Amino acid sequence: MKFSLLLFALYILIKWSAKTNSKFKRYIRKSKVRILIKTANGKYARLYIFNKGKISSRAGNTNEYDVALIWKNANVGFKCMQNKEKDASFNAAANGNLIIDGMSVYAQWFENGMKLIN
Amino acid sequence: MAKIFGGHLVGKYLKENLKIDTVFTLSGGHIESILDSFSKYKIRAIDVRHEQTAAMMAHAWSIYTGTAGVCLVTAGPGFTNAVTGIANAYLDNSPLIVLSGRHPLRDNLTGALQELDQISIVKPITKWAETCHDISRIPEYLSIAFREAVSGRPGPVFLELPPDILNITVEEDEVVMPQPVYRKIVTSPIASDIEKAAEYINQAKRPLFIGGSGCGFSEAQTALTEFIDKTKIPFVLMNNGRGTLPDNHPQCINDGCFTGVMTTLPQADVIIAAGIRFNWVLESGRLFPDAKVIRIDINESEIDRNRVSEVGLIGDVAQVISKLTPLVKKHNHSEWEEKVRKAYTAFIRTELDQRSIPSFPIHPNRLVAKIQEFFGSETYYVADGGDTSYFGMCGFNSNFKSGVLGPAGSLLGCIGTGIPFAMAAKIANPDKQVVLLNGDGSFGFNGMEFDTMIRLNIPVICIINNDNAWGMIKHSQGMSIGYDNLSCTELGERHYEKMVEGLGGYGELVTKDEDIIPALQRAVDSKKPACINVLTDNSVTSPATIQFYQNLTDF
Ligand SMILES: Cc1ncc(C[n+]2csc(CCOP(=O)(O)OP(=O)(O)O)c2C)c(N)n1
Ligand SMILES: [Mg+2]
Repeated sequence: MKFSLLLFALYILIKWSAKTNSKFKRYIRKSKVRILIKTANGKYARLYIFNKGKISSRAGNTNEYDVALIWKNANVGFKCMQNKEKDASFNAAANGNLIIDGMSVYAQWFENGMKLIN
Repeated sequence: MAKIFGGHLVGKYLKENLKIDTVFTLSGGHIESILDSFSKYKIRAIDVRHEQTAAMMAHAWSIYTGTAGVCLVTAGPGFTNAVTGIANAYLDNSPLIVLSGRHPLRDNLTGALQELDQISIVKPITKWAETCHDISRIPEYLSIAFREAVSGRPGPVFLELPPDILNITVEEDEVVMPQPVYRKIVTSPIASDIEKAAEYINQAKRPLFIGGSGCGFSEAQTALTEFIDKTKIPFVLMNNGRGTLPDNHPQCINDGCFTGVMTTLPQADVIIAAGIRFNWVLESGRLFPDAKVIRIDINESEIDRNRVSEVGLIGDVAQVISKLTPLVKKHNHSEWEEKVRKAYTAFIRTELDQRSIPSFPIHPNRLVAKIQEFFGSETYYVADGGDTSYFGMCGFNSNFKSGVLGPAGSLLGCIGTGIPFAMAAKIANPDKQVVLLNGDGSFGFNGMEFDTMIRLNIPVICIINNDNAWGMIKHSQGMSIGYDNLSCTELGERHYEKMVEGLGGYGELVTKDEDIIPALQRAVDSKKPACINVLTDNSVTSPATIQFYQNLTDF
């Protein structure tokens, strides 16, 4: 539950930043990318759609993504996504708490974008 | 007393003094006397179908053999056709010697056949470019050209030889044949800098060694083995340095490919960058703002380029590393190394799945995995294309120095280089299997060289990753102007295998996973130059395209 709230809050933050944060606005202005963040069991999932500066999002699992960040469970996802350390997701991947499905360059793109708004 | 033609002096000096036994060329009237000298002095002339190939093969030859590669082209169009190959060698810092015909000195400014100011064209893309005016100085000019090409940071040189001096004779014993000089650069960093580097390395918790072409050119195998075995630092070897230590070395993390490099670099606390430029491929060094960077390079202007280094060690990579090794402590970085491997494996999971699971249409990653499964690591691999380069560079591994090369990934980014590189690899290593993975688009540039391969018996096995498109550009356009507006990026399904068959080689078309390996077996059994044309999934692109797209549109 906490995790779905976090995913929703992230959507609000992204959408807000896409309007107000000039660096982020610039960063996303040409990208067409679909990022799914979910738990391994698929219980919690949210898709973030970046479409040349426009942001939309929907809750729920899907296969229609360019990259999926798959957290082992909601608990580790919650903790790690709030961790601001630069090696948080690297460590999570190394510890088996995070796997990436699809094009991992988009995951890196997403992570770099998040650094601009967090 | 014996008289000798100027043209014959070229062959004589190349063979007897510079010990060059192979030259890449395409004939022309202006260079007849030099061509004749190749027969006389038993120099093997590899005569190709386009001068671009001659230059690119000589460039590749320098990488595979560690000695300067020589090409000979005729005046005017022969020269201009070679320009791309020269530019490529220039940006790749390779010792390429280009001998070129030119219009007669006698006919300067008269509108002579193929009259062109070649020197002005080639100056910005060579280390040294000159015209020889005196028959008796031909060997001297050749010796300077050779020295300039191989000394310090290597690079291409250009020597123009007019017919006025090639087609006349001189008393042989009046010509001085200078001793060729092979001097290793002896520049050495000051002791305190080496000590400082060692201190950083000894204190490092998360070190990474990243080596480039400089490791290959300096023949750093022994020095690097000792350094890595002692420090146990995980390493990546890129560009023409790939394979300086084998891909299967226990500390090598090349299997993580670009993703491995890109995810590890920002986490490293100490980066030892040896003979590698911080250019766009490494995001100009922006990826690791917090790391302590130790840069080793033969060229001082690289040391702080795009990113100031904490320590700069100027000199030949092998020499510098052998000075560093006694000062570094024995270490065990296995925990860090394991972490790195686990992290990038989690990031490339999909690519690993694509390699292991059969697919229809065939996924390019799967194609590469099947090729690797069949040919193994005792093979020279070359990958050429846009997305195709990425798939090949990531999926192939070899135990050989320069065993996996992606020449289109060098700074000129020149596709079409695969066929020349693979041909040079095969001539340099006739007993080894040479396998080329070629994009269908890139194949077109030098595909006619299958004639050369057949004529001269150079049995390269070329596998076309055929997505019916200039894939990298098609998918970039898809991301920018949209797939409905693709412009000049689609090629259609072409039967390149039939073209090769028509020329006398072996050809086969493959569309199904289970047919890949049997087709490769038949290609090997044929003992001929072979083209296996594999239709692959044209909806897929590679991370390289996304990086390329982002780089070009971020304005
Ligand atoms: C000589 C040259 N011409 C054009 C380009 C631009 N370019 C880069 S990748 C590419 C497409 C390559 O297509 P292909 O060889 O079929 O490989 P694919 O991307 O489809 O795998 C092109 C045209 C280039 N890099 N070099
Ligand atoms: Mg293609």
